[in-house]
Amino acid sequence: MSSTAGASDPVRGPERPRFPRIPRPRLPRARTPRPESSAPSATPATPGAGPHGEAVLRVRGLVRTHRSEGSAVRALDGVDLDVDRGEFVAVMGPSGAGKSTLLHLLGGLDRPDGGQIWLEGRRVDGLSEARWALLRRRSVGIVFQFSNLVSTMTVADNVELPALLAGASARQARTRREELLGELGLADKARAVAAGLSGGEQQRVALARALVNEPGLLLADEPTGSLDSRSTRDVLRLLTRFHEQGRTIVLVTHDARVAATAERVVSLFDGRVADDAAVESAPRGRRTTLADVLELKG
Amino acid sequence: MRAELRWAAADCRARPGQALLVTLVTAAVVTALMVAGVLLQDAVNPWQRIFSESSGAHVWLHLDAGTGTAALSRLDGVDAVAGPYRTAVVTVPAGTGKLPLELRAVGSAPPRISRPLLRSGRWLDPAEPDGVVLERTAARAAGAAAGARLAVRTADGRTRVLRVLGTADTADSGPCPDWTPGLGWVLPGTLAAVGPADGRTGLVAGLRLHDPADTDFAVQQAVTALGGARVARVSTWQQVRTAGELDGRLLGLLLGVFGLVSLVAVALAAAGAAGERVLAQVGDIAMLKAVGFTPAQVVRMVVYQHAALALAGVALGTAGAALLGPVLPDPVGPAVARWHELPGGAVAASGAAVAGGVVLLVVAAVAAVPAWRAGRVPAVPGIRGVRRVSRLSRLARLALLLRLPPALVLGARDAFHRPLRAGLTVARLAIPVMAVTVALGSWATLDGFRAHPERIGLPAALTARAPGLSPGAVQRLLAGTPGVRAAYAGVETEALVPGQTRTVTLRGLGTAAAPYPYALAEGRGIRDRDEAVAGQGLLDLMHVRVGQWVRVTTAGTPRILHVVGRSIEPEHNGQMLSVGLDALEGRDGPPPPQYWNVVLAPGADREAVRAALAAASGGRLDVRPVANPADRLGAVRVVVAGLVAVLGLIGLAELLTATAGGLRDHARDLGVLRAMGLTPRQVTAVVTTGTGLTALAAVAVGVLLGLPVSRWLIDLQGRSSGIGSGIAGSPSPGALLLTCAVAVAAAVCVPVVPAARAARAPVTAALRST
Ligand SMILES: Nc1ncnc2c1ncn2[C@@H]1O[C@H](COP(=O)(O)OP(=O)(O)O)[C@@H](O)[C@H]1O
Ligand SMILES: [Mg+2]
Repeated sequence: MSSTAGASDPVRGPERPRFPRIPRPRLPRARTPRPESSAPSATPATPGAGPHGEAVLRVRGLVRTHRSEGSAVRALDGVDLDVDRGEFVAVMGPSGAGKSTLLHLLGGLDRPDGGQIWLEGRRVDGLSEARWALLRRRSVGIVFQFSNLVSTMTVADNVELPALLAGASARQARTRREELLGELGLADKARAVAAGLSGGEQQRVALARALVNEPGLLLADEPTGSLDSRSTRDVLRLLTRFHEQGRTIVLVTHDARVAATAERVVSLFDGRVADDAAVESAPRGRRTTLADVLELKG
Repeated sequence: MRAELRWAAADCRARPGQALLVTLVTAAVVTALMVAGVLLQDAVNPWQRIFSESSGAHVWLHLDAGTGTAALSRLDGVDAVAGPYRTAVVTVPAGTGKLPLELRAVGSAPPRISRPLLRSGRWLDPAEPDGVVLERTAARAAGAAAGARLAVRTADGRTRVLRVLGTADTADSGPCPDWTPGLGWVLPGTLAAVGPADGRTGLVAGLRLHDPADTDFAVQQAVTALGGARVARVSTWQQVRTAGELDGRLLGLLLGVFGLVSLVAVALAAAGAAGERVLAQVGDIAMLKAVGFTPAQVVRMVVYQHAALALAGVALGTAGAALLGPVLPDPVGPAVARWHELPGGAVAASGAAVAGGVVLLVVAAVAAVPAWRAGRVPAVPGIRGVRRVSRLSRLARLALLLRLPPALVLGARDAFHRPLRAGLTVARLAIPVMAVTVALGSWATLDGFRAHPERIGLPAALTARAPGLSPGAVQRLLAGTPGVRAAYAGVETEALVPGQTRTVTLRGLGTAAAPYPYALAEGRGIRDRDEAVAGQGLLDLMHVRVGQWVRVTTAGTPRILHVVGRSIEPEHNGQMLSVGLDALEGRDGPPPPQYWNVVLAPGADREAVRAALAAASGGRLDVRPVANPADRLGAVRVVVAGLVAVLGLIGLAELLTATAGGLRDHARDLGVLRAMGLTPRQVTAVVTTGTGLTALAAVAVGVLLGLPVSRWLIDLQGRSSGIGSGIAGSPSPGALLLTCAVAVAAAVCVPVVPAARAARAPVTAALRST
């Protein structure tokens, strides 16, 4: 969570460092205010202005309560979050902290009970399901832990589907799919039925599917949660690489090593942001080279 | 659009069996409905077409010779008068028997009103004084085509050879030989040559009415104007039309009713399959939404998919009707084959298009609810409907205490632990079972016609006619022949109903002392000379009930008769009033019998008795077997068999749906059960027990409902066709048991493969999948 307040925060530590390889100017980040201090009314009405001009994603006072059979769980309890263009943010927290709920709200898969969301400067929390669907096609790619692919379709169809939805011709969709699967080392699996792939392969296909329309924002909910360490490493390398291409990524995980891939870690606890810190050293992810990616294909 | 199609295609590929079944049953229903439509059209259309093309007359009056008919054209509501034509009735050989033929004297130019429509050959020609033009069905019955020679036998026994110049269609009479006498046209000179020696011919005149519905009033006026005693017989266009449509209509109705029932069953099956697929794909649908499918697109996807399957079914069904129809037995095959040739083919084709369109719409429309549900699936992954916690019922716990196999107990719980869902499944499966029961009922009814003709008013196996023998001689001859149990002398005459609006057939058969063994459905038999029994058709026609008195006029003599019973009456659309022969006694004793109905002793062979009678009489006794309606309804069996097959397919589709539902519902439970230590085989047993019990319940419900429905439908058909209710047979217990056994066996076998597959899947996958 960043806000215009600039004081240092004992919980969070100093300002976020700048990353020289990001080709655009970044403003110094401030500490995250405690949720109770961030009244939604205090936020500017036009998020595109001022210091948030670069915010791809801006969230204020997000509340979501799950109700089932009498009991109500407050999964999100006033979450504020800004994600700048090109940022790679990991959302961490123990199981049940509300990470998935947050991601679902950011992707428009679920509606908040309160709070606001701006996506690329546009207020989106009140959009209808259909409008969200249209928005997702072009601007948001999503990857989950499980059941990422339509089991009855082939790998090729799974990847082409969003492209076709976004209005690409069959030929364009095929070209893009071939490119992507080629890059991910899955060219020979194009005709396979999704259900027949290994977990790691499925997640790579899911990534290809999420990226086929070159969305500005990639949301990933524990994409490595069910993978072995080698597949985990593969998927993380891919994420890093896409980040290096300038894409914005929000990655949910409960695994600190996975979170270390990101350049900033937001910690959720009981539906509130407990911490928001830059990752000082990102040993592997940041240094991923093209050679690493090529190695993946093998 | 393209994206939606991709998904729909992939989905069909992933479940080819289900897609194929839905397509097949849709096709079968389309075929049934189309053939039914063609039959119904064929049954009604030719008459309608011929009537308007020939400017037919609505009413025909058969009069005594010399009746003055000038008054007819002045009657209210009469637009034109056809004839009057002089007529003579002759007989011509037809197969092994004889066919009565009414010859009408017309001019060398076809008449304007009720003009015979020449179908082959040419019209009468003064240059050919022995020429005759035959009505087409009469020509067919007599086996005479244009150019053939026809030996006619006059009423007084002379024989004369005529030449068939041509054949023609007319709307004046029904199809021969069901409608007798047949019809032929000759020149006046020819008629004089073949007419009675005393020159006393008959006279016939047709009335073309302004308002076709006004027949009753027109007939009443005409009879009043001409004098009741002079009117021998009246026929109306309604009678002619009904005569023409009888067999085809019955079959068409049968097919139509079954087609509609099957349509409902197919719609339910398709809806069930669609719903089940949506439930099974909640995860995929959530995924699609996350990718960017809008709810409307998801809805469209499911609807398109079903519309495509239905369209394939309709196309297949149309092809089926066109290819299969013509090879079906008479009268279905010929009707379908004629379908394209007739001028009404376009109408029939449009009817077929309507049938196809309706099926398409219905099958696609039932996908609406599942489609709507699919649209509402949340995009958030991993959300499933809230699971209702079910505990083992007291019964199940008791069963476990009694050490029944656990698979049985758990399966029973599976089958019924969600009452609403279980009820719906049972209801959907019960519909095809019910329809099969009704089909078996139709089959059994036909079997009954043949096995017990006496129960449908045909106690006599043979009729004998003997123009050249004295009644006493015939009676002695019949009584003396072994195998004959009884012979009843009878006459049939036309009788005018009160109001003189039309004629019915009055039959004198048996006597009050030795009554004819009618099949009585209501009331009692004839015991007195003023008592009568009547067919349903007559009761409807005269608006009377058993127990009431009716007044009819025969040959100018009014008779008041007490209707004491209703007989099952397969002839003349049930428009028969039957009395004892003694009731028709005039001043000069009882009327001479026209025929004898011969009832055989049990076990006697019909053909043997027939041969014996012919031999004993030296060939002077004309003995013929009595036609059984079952003979003409052979096609019903083919139809019934086909429908049972279709209903079986529908049931199979329902079973597959139920199995998939059961497996999906319990995917996690099955994992737990296996984790608890049930073997894969036991798990399979749990699932098959569940579907088996569901099927058992469905079979019970279906049969229990089907029995009364079958009886009701058949009796309804009987009542509307004039035969009368009381003809329905019950399906044989053996056939019913077989049906039940097959249904339950299928319900146990169908799920074995998918259940075994689910049971062998890794426990962890099963546990994780929900
Ligand atoms: N659909 C739901 N219905 C009811 N409770 C839910 C639902 N989804 C999530 N929750 C609850 O909300 C809380 C946050 O869940 P979630 O966002 O999935 O946490 P995380 O992803 O961090 O493990 C948990 O207590 C969870 O049980
Ligand atoms: Mg989660």
